[in-house]
Amino acid sequence: MKKSSIKQKAGTILLPAVGFVAILVIWWLLVSFTRIGLLLPTPLEVLKRFIYFLGNPIGKAFTLPMHLLISLRRVLTGFCIASVAGIIVGISMGRFKPIEAIVRPIFELVRPIPGVAWIPLAIVWFGIGETAKTFIIFMGGFVNIVVNTYAGARHVDERLMGVAYMLGASKIQAFFRVVLPSCVPYIFAGMQVGLSTCWMAVLAAEMVSSFEGVGWVIIAGQDINDMAQIFVGIIAIAVMGLLLAAFMRFMERILCRWRERGA
Amino acid sequence: MSRKAVIECKHVSKTFYTLSGDHLVVDDLNFTVYENEFVVLFGPGQCGKTTVLNLITGLELPTKGEIIVAGEKVTGPSPKRGMVYQTTNLFMWYNVMKNVEFGPSVRGISKKERRKKAQHYIDLVGLTGFEKHYPVQLSGGMQQRVGIARAYCNEPDIICMDEPFGHLDAQTRYLMEKEVERISSQEKRTVVFVTNNVEEAIYLADRIILLRNLPTSVKKEYTVDLPRPRNYVSPEFLALREEITRDMDPTL
Repeated sequence: MKKSSIKQKAGTILLPAVGFVAILVIWWLLVSFTRIGLLLPTPLEVLKRFIYFLGNPIGKAFTLPMHLLISLRRVLTGFCIASVAGIIVGISMGRFKPIEAIVRPIFELVRPIPGVAWIPLAIVWFGIGETAKTFIIFMGGFVNIVVNTYAGARHVDERLMGVAYMLGASKIQAFFRVVLPSCVPYIFAGMQVGLSTCWMAVLAAEMVSSFEGVGWVIIAGQDINDMAQIFVGIIAIAVMGLLLAAFMRFMERILCRWRERGA
Repeated sequence: MSRKAVIECKHVSKTFYTLSGDHLVVDDLNFTVYENEFVVLFGPGQCGKTTVLNLITGLELPTKGEIIVAGEKVTGPSPKRGMVYQTTNLFMWYNVMKNVEFGPSVRGISKKERRKKAQHYIDLVGLTGFEKHYPVQLSGGMQQRVGIARAYCNEPDIICMDEPFGHLDAQTRYLMEKEVERISSQEKRTVVFVTNNVEEAIYLADRIILLRNLPTSVKKEYTVDLPRPRNYVSPEFLALREEITRDMDPTL
C-alpha cells in the first residue's frame, strides 16, 4: 500500500518536476555558456524580476498582479457575454429547425475565423477602448461555446422528452428540466475551451493596443528590449491560464456530479 | 358483483403508413381491464405489444376504434397514464428523490406534500436511504425500482409497464418479479404489464391476454387464480405454462 502510494507520487509529482528542472538547467547552461545569453536572461533573473514586479509597478502605474487583474476583468466580461449569447444561439440552433436552417450557414462561415482576425475590424468599429477588446474576446470564446451547446442540444434524448410529457410536464418545464440539464456537460466543454481562447484573445488584443494588462507588459518589454519583463509576462499568462482551466474543471465537477459513478 | 372497467379497447386497429407500404400492426383489438387488476399482455417478440401500450398511453392514436381509460377517450399522452420503461429512462441529472417527485413537481404540488409522497413510494420500492443517489450510482434493478416509484408517485389511473425487466440479468429479474408482486399487493393499482416471458406473465398476472402475432389482436385470455406468491415449479403453474406456450403463435 505504502509502496504503491510512493510510486503514485513519483508519477504525479516527481516525474513532471524532473521535466521542469531539466528545462531550467538547460536554459541556465545555455545562457551561461553560449552567446544566447545576449538574448535571454537566466531563470534566476526572471524569477527575481517576477518577485520585484509583484510589489513594484511595471510602466507607470500598475504592479504585475494589477495588470493580471485588468486582463482578467476584460476576459471575464467578454467571456460572460460570449457564454450567455453562445448558449442561447447554440440551444436555439439545436432545438428549432427553422433557426438552425437560417443561422447555421452563417455560423459555419464565421466559425473558422480566428479571434485575432477580428482585431483590425474591432479597432475600426469600436476604436482602441474597452469595447473593441471585449468584442475580440467575445469572438474568441463565442464560437466554441455555440458549437458545443449546439451539439448538446441536438443530442437530447427524445424519449426522455416523451417521459417528461407523459409525467405531465409542459413544454417550458421539459425545456428547463430535460433539455437544459442534458446540455450542461456539453456547454461546459465549450466554456472550458472558450475560456482559454478568450484568455488568448485578450493578450492579442492588449498587444495590439492598450496601456495596461499582461499583453501590454509583454509588448512594453519588447519596446524597451527588456527580455526579463517579456518572460515575466509570459509566465504570468501561463500561470493564470492554468488557474482558469483548473477553476473550470472544479465548476464542472460540481455541476456535472451526476455523471460520476463514484461520487 | 360487476367490476369497474378502467381500460376499454374497442375495435382498435392501427396502421402505420410508411414509404415501403402500409403496415397493419393492430387489427380489431378488443379487451377490458378492470380496476386494480394486474393484466399481462403476453405475446411473441415483435408482435405489436409495445404498439398496444403506446395506444393505451396515447403516444400513438388508433387508426380505427377507440380506447377509453377511466371514462375518458385517449387522445394523447396524459399524466393520468403512467409508464415504466424497459430502458428505465430516468433523468440522469436528478437524484432518486427528484426523479420520483418529477410528476407531482411539474404538476405544481407543493414541495412538502410531494416530498412526503415521493418518500412513501421510495420506501415502497425499497430504496430508503438512496434518495440522494444519482442513477449512475445504482444497479440496473435499483434503477428500475426508481422507474416504478416515479410512475406510482404520479398517482395515475393506470400504470403500463413495457418489458421492464427485459434488460436485467436472470437473478435480478426473479427478484424484481417478487418485488413487483409485493408492491402491487401493498398498493393496489390497475397495471398493464407487457412481457414476452411466459414465466413472468404467470407469476404476476391476475389475467393474461395472449396476443396474436402481427397484425395483433386478442387470441385468448387466461384468468390466473393460483394463490400468491406463486411457485414457479408447482404443477398448476407448469400446466398453465404448457397451455399458454402451446397456444402461442410461432415467431420467426
